[in-house]
Amino acid sequence: MRANVWSGRNTVQVENVPDPKILNDRDAIVKITSTAICGSDLHLYDGYIPTMHKGDILGHEFMGEVVETGRGVSNLSVGDRVVVPFPIACGNCWACQHELYSVCENSNPNWGMAEKAFGHGTAGIFGYSHLTGGYAGGQAEFARVPYADVGPIKIEDDLPDEQVLFLSDIFPTGYMGAEMCDIKGGEVIAVFGAGPVGQFAIASAVMLGAEQVIAIDQYDYRLQMAVNKAGATATINFQEDADIVEQLKEMTGGRGPDAVIDAVGMESWHGHGAIAVMDRVKQAARLESDRGLALRDAILACRPGGIVSVIGVYGGLMDKFPTGAFMNKGLTMRTGQCHVQKYLRPLYEHVKNGDIDPSFVITHRLPLGEASNGYETFKHKQDECVKVVLKP
Amino acid sequence: MSDKAAITINLPREEVQQRWTSSAPEIDGDVTFKDAPGDRGTEIHVALGSGGGPIDKLRGTVPLAKAKDQLRRFKQQVETGEIPRSEGTPEGESVGRKFKQRPAQPLEESELEKAGVR
Repeated sequence: MRANVWSGRNTVQVENVPDPKILNDRDAIVKITSTAICGSDLHLYDGYIPTMHKGDILGHEFMGEVVETGRGVSNLSVGDRVVVPFPIACGNCWACQHELYSVCENSNPNWGMAEKAFGHGTAGIFGYSHLTGGYAGGQAEFARVPYADVGPIKIEDDLPDEQVLFLSDIFPTGYMGAEMCDIKGGEVIAVFGAGPVGQFAIASAVMLGAEQVIAIDQYDYRLQMAVNKAGATATINFQEDADIVEQLKEMTGGRGPDAVIDAVGMESWHGHGAIAVMDRVKQAARLESDRGLALRDAILACRPGGIVSVIGVYGGLMDKFPTGAFMNKGLTMRTGQCHVQKYLRPLYEHVKNGDIDPSFVITHRLPLGEASNGYETFKHKQDECVKVVLKP
Repeated sequence: MSDKAAITINLPREEVQQRWTSSAPEIDGDVTFKDAPGDRGTEIHVALGSGGGPIDKLRGTVPLAKAKDQLRRFKQQVETGEIPRSEGTPEGESVGRKFKQRPAQPLEESELEKAGVR
């Protein structure tokens, strides 16, 4: 089959590789009909996530048709149309039974490797480095799906791929980011990053009853999408005024947002001061893996007693974490790779009911063979790119 | 010096002990079982006699690392019914694979037997 493989920093290419095979009874093989490039794939592309190997197949947002099932998979049949969640989860461990699927205790066969980096292992993830298992990804014609009796959701109506594909990651991830803000009605929520996950965080915060949602980004076209499609009530373009903290305070009568969502992660770019420069130098020299500009400002901007919700991906360590602000303001931080399996069904219902059409983020549709162009376009935000969908 | 390792299995103690006895993981050391607090299942504690010499460490065959693999594989087997395999680590959790990963792309037919798939 053909698959998009990582072959070093800033290099991906579509190559011929062997077809996937059932390796365990609870596996299934899916023929992929749609797959997407995630913002977190750019962290791999840029070389900031350790334990990537030449030849790794990328991609963790995909859907398709079941073409083979292992003996232990009775809930799926050949021909079923499914969306596959990006975390691989066994469904049996304590974490899975408490709906903490992205920290499944069993699905990562490189647990020991992750334990060294994070203190504990976390769930396996498709196409996302060897620290999360070394699983082949879904930017390919076919993929093997382990624990297929737990993860994939059957799509039993005729909704097009583009409306359900993002149940695999970015819609639930954005939703979880908003849910972690404990929205009860009347809140002001600030969202750092108006990329695809930020868009869904905004839309979800609106859906959950936030009164005002402020989108923060450096690209006007993304901020326009945030207002026109996701429902943001105000925007900050930090290219025009880099002091996000002061702007947020001013916009909230000096209070600060009740909760702040970091939908940026380890490669945040705003900020022009000495700390921003130091971050870039240290990250380039591999002395610091995570540039923390968005997270620092999120903490400084959040109102005392508020919540900082982190769904942007970090990989290692950052410097100058503002512990003083974090502690003295009594903030709560909630974080995590999304527990997608928990959100699949309720969010699928929202899509079916017409509450949201997740396809609004798509700006580019390319054949799989043009994956490399897709990565470049997405990375450099060319042609007003927000989300790239690949068709195998 | 005594090396220790521990893991928690999401099953009642009696069942864990039965499965341990019947599957007999290759661990050379003292093994004790303990109820974990609340609904957290059963703790297995292992105390090994020796930490392995420098040659073992170079080969990645330190008894503690191997014991940890055995504990993880036992947990995976009894909780999920299988040892999870990725394309990068097709044999499942093993200390030897940590530094010698395959690329995360499907195996050739010829690799399946060696990985223990069939």
